[in-house]
Amino acid sequence: MSLNDSWLFLQQGVLSGLVTGSVYALLAIAIVTVFKTTDVPNFAQGEMFMIGGYVALTLLLIVKWPYAVVIPLTLVIVAMGGALFQRVVMERVTGSKGVGVQLVIATLGLAYGLKGLVRQTGLGDTPRSLPPLVSGDAVLIGDAVLTRLDIAIFMVALVVMALLYLMFNKTRIGKAMRAVGMNPRAAQIVGIRLSHIRMLVWALSGLISGLAALLIAPKVLITPDIAHIAILAYAAAIVGGFTSLPGAVLGGFIIGILENLVGLFISTNAIVVAPFLAILLTLIVRPQGLLGGKPQLKKV
Amino acid sequence: MKSISHDRWALLVSAVILLVLPLVASGYVLYIVNLLMVFVVLSLGMHVVIGEAGQFALSHTAFYGIGIYTAGLINTACHPPFFISILAGGLLSAVLGYVIGLLALRMRDIYLALATFAFGEAMQWVFLNWDKVTGGSNGMRMQPAELFGLKLTNDLQAYPFVIGVAALMLWLTVILSRSQYGSCLRAVRESEVAAMAMGINVKAMKQSAFAISAAFAGIAGGMYTLFTSFIHPESLGFQTTILVLTMVVVGGIGSVRGAVLGAIVFGLISELLRQALSVQEIIYGVILMGFMMFKPKGLFAGNQKRAATVITPAASA
Repeated sequence: MSLNDSWLFLQQGVLSGLVTGSVYALLAIAIVTVFKTTDVPNFAQGEMFMIGGYVALTLLLIVKWPYAVVIPLTLVIVAMGGALFQRVVMERVTGSKGVGVQLVIATLGLAYGLKGLVRQTGLGDTPRSLPPLVSGDAVLIGDAVLTRLDIAIFMVALVVMALLYLMFNKTRIGKAMRAVGMNPRAAQIVGIRLSHIRMLVWALSGLISGLAALLIAPKVLITPDIAHIAILAYAAAIVGGFTSLPGAVLGGFIIGILENLVGLFISTNAIVVAPFLAILLTLIVRPQGLLGGKPQLKKV
Repeated sequence: MKSISHDRWALLVSAVILLVLPLVASGYVLYIVNLLMVFVVLSLGMHVVIGEAGQFALSHTAFYGIGIYTAGLINTACHPPFFISILAGGLLSAVLGYVIGLLALRMRDIYLALATFAFGEAMQWVFLNWDKVTGGSNGMRMQPAELFGLKLTNDLQAYPFVIGVAALMLWLTVILSRSQYGSCLRAVRESEVAAMAMGINVKAMKQSAFAISAAFAGIAGGMYTLFTSFIHPESLGFQTTILVLTMVVVGGIGSVRGAVLGAIVFGLISELLRQALSVQEIIYGVILMGFMMFKPKGLFAGNQKRAATVITPAASA
């Protein structure tokens, strides 16, 4: 491989990586927010994302409603689903003294249930994409080629991240979520209703999952197994530090770029294993992640 | 004492059923029983690391796969008596498990779960891509296991040996659980600091629990080669780990009975509904959520108090 080729590959890898990475970053934000406020690593994140894709697909291609209706409706449905799951299932599991393992298993149950439901409807039999809102024309940046759609995905993801940043730092709800994440008991003492906030957090994670699905769905085929994308989001969250929101964003971009560079420089075969190696490496070398702060040690 | 006699009855009834079964049942039923026995051993192995030692490890399938490939390759290459190839798989898994156990010394809870999960997925990738050894995505054909010239070519022939190995592993688990070593593992599970203060070598406990659990999984893999001649890496993914985790958790974390019963129930569900994937997934989902909501400790809640009376060997299993 000549130096020129390498330079081209590098540019292409980084730019494409930023695009896919922005979607991983969104999902990683959803994982981290839920983990911080409810202590649950949500193993159904990928399935929530998949459901978002299928709701949009159904509304758009089968019910044939226009995008202007479908986008908000999809977001509302997935967000309400998330809130409902927290309210009905997770609240009950926490209430019956469920600890880590039980909570994780409950989310696994949700993952199975959602996947089974989609398969049962038969929608999963023919993989489809959403019709793109933005044209797929190529745009040359440096020596790398992106489509307009890629750029739109990246831009929307950035705007969403900015909005989330504002929400977590400027609004009462966002601050309350952060407070619960820092210290649930103290948050309760100052008058924050835990169950309320946890429900909202799950709704938020549903909302983000739906958004991520809407963003990526015109670019890839939706199948019941698309939930695998959550593994990359998990890798992103871990690389960034499992409790840090900026870390989740940084991790998302790192994983996205890593994935593309591995594909271009090593082999497409190695793409699958790259996130796991990133997870293992991070946890062994720097368990708290890049922006995770000091590792927490629980005593007695 | 009452529960012990219940166990005896359960064992007796199962023994009778297992004895009569080959006389009346078809090959498919025997295949399912063989498979269930593999699940029982897998589930017992996970019970050791999660139930007894409290280490949340999700790399079980990786060791299972190592056991299958090791035993299968040895059987194909030099036809030793089958227990040698099974032991080789168990041993190799144990060594690797000991190495992976190093992770548990550095991290805990969700981090340990994710690291072991990543290891498991990486191993599946190795199975899928190490074409020269594992046959890669084409899967691997294995020669039948042998015992002194007798080839085990069908489920009926393998049946007594599969049952035998499973019974042996169950017996070993009960011994382990009742021993002082088992008490030490539970002490580590309940509180590392307290265990350390009592002079228990926490690091050695964690690492050995990983090694033992991996050995169980490796042996389960070897058992699998007794009655099958083909393995594909597709079946060695995270779903299998989750299946086994489900068996242990729904059965009751920390309970040997729970691990066995969970393995039988969920093994049956997974095998009987193999054709109807969507129904299987929905049933799983509902069972998992339902159990966690209404019976989070599982069918047989482990005796949580036992760790408080460490060192004196516990009286019941």
